[in-house]
Amino acid sequence: MTLTAFILCIVASVLELDITYAFQLLISRPIIAGPIFGLITGDVMAGVQVGIFAELLFSDVSPLGGIIPPNGIVATVLPLILYHQGVALYFGFFVGVLAAILYSLLDTYLRKARSPWLVFLEKEVDRKPTVINRIIFGALLQSFLMAFVFISVAAWISSQLMLWLTPYLTYKLHVAFLLAYTAVPWIGLAALLPAFRLKAR
Amino acid sequence: MDLHLRLQLFLRSFFLQAGWNFSKYQNLGFAFIMLPVLRRLYKEDPDALPAVMQRYLDTFNTHPVMAAFCFGALAKQEEKVAKAKSITEYNEQVMEYNGIRRGLSITVASIGDRLFWGTLKPLSLLLAIFIWMLLGINFFNTRVLSSFPDVYVYLALVITFISYNAIALFVRWKGLQIGYESNEANCFGLTCFDWNRAIYNLKRVGLVFTALLLLFGVYRYFSQMPKQDVYFLSRTILVLFFVVLSFFTRRFRIPNTYLYLAVVITFSVVCAFV
Repeated sequence: MTLTAFILCIVASVLELDITYAFQLLISRPIIAGPIFGLITGDVMAGVQVGIFAELLFSDVSPLGGIIPPNGIVATVLPLILYHQGVALYFGFFVGVLAAILYSLLDTYLRKARSPWLVFLEKEVDRKPTVINRIIFGALLQSFLMAFVFISVAAWISSQLMLWLTPYLTYKLHVAFLLAYTAVPWIGLAALLPAFRLKAR
Repeated sequence: MDLHLRLQLFLRSFFLQAGWNFSKYQNLGFAFIMLPVLRRLYKEDPDALPAVMQRYLDTFNTHPVMAAFCFGALAKQEEKVAKAKSITEYNEQVMEYNGIRRGLSITVASIGDRLFWGTLKPLSLLLAIFIWMLLGINFFNTRVLSSFPDVYVYLALVITFISYNAIALFVRWKGLQIGYESNEANCFGLTCFDWNRAIYNLKRVGLVFTALLLLFGVYRYFSQMPKQDVYFLSRTILVLFFVVLSFFTRRFRIPNTYLYLAVVITFSVVCAFV
């Protein structure tokens, strides 16, 4: 893994916390995170494009109740890491979307895995109420580490896989992935129209 | 509520979802946020604090921004609980506390989901895209532009960031005070603002923005192609196909992500045989 990819993994893991666990200032939304990642890789416009595409693609799913949408940070950072290593953006985006869905499943598992610990944590708080500060810090650290490990492993595996696959990717496959990539803004914008539908006040 | 306590609650409110779990949702974050209030109220009786904290570790789930109203209202109610002079009064105030927590968290979650996730977030996305398109970035073109001033990119980013966060941070800060100073009669301050009207008007703006962007995108997409070209027809069919397909899948609640994956697979299969 290159130094740029390593820095991207760290920055992405920190920004990932903003999605749910801390702040929610929406710095983590792809449209903002994309250009930040692009700045690190040295290609801001690639970051802008991936950011817009990822945000439009995921704009129809909101984190309501227990719903965990596909992770926008993973869908943005992976294509840019792959693009930085010479893989076409439309292939990288496909890998990023798959990884984003996988990460949301992993996040669901993490949140479920916390439940059995609640009894223990409640006992700890009962013993000493201020321990809640450490619990929150621990939860943030756990989320950061999970994001960092996942993004690093996904970046490494996908870059190795894509570099190995590149000679076997036919021209027809390039055309197919590019056409599907071209469809993303249309799909996203067309889905936004009903999202803004006017209901009776 | 003095400024120091309000500032503490405000800063801690950013970590409401830190310990999110499927059993009791935001309970850990909620207890973490309210700790300074409880420590102040039970300063004279620190032995009571663990039992009080258990109440705060009960199920809590609401919208992270609008939750400020809950924190303010519950801080006020906890004062009443702490000042209870008899067991009966204490039980009554605790019951009142449970009622406020349950009722208010559901109400503010409904408003917050519609206002922030359903309206402001997509609206700020459209704003950024609109600024970029006006400045010359054609995001319908999948070729990555190389000579575009970075300052334009960051200008749109800053506007997007501020347009969402100015409202979110204001609600977080003001909600604490309004929730604390209000009561059941005015629904803990929620009636001081016509949320439905604001959401309705913002959605109207969003609808216009999206329609304009689609039209602008269609114009930019086709303006680069010579008319009566074979590619012009194929492009028109493709764009119409995606737009109609997106409306169709939306009707059946199929997420965009699955639609994209289906499009990739379909095109790969078609291209393999053409």
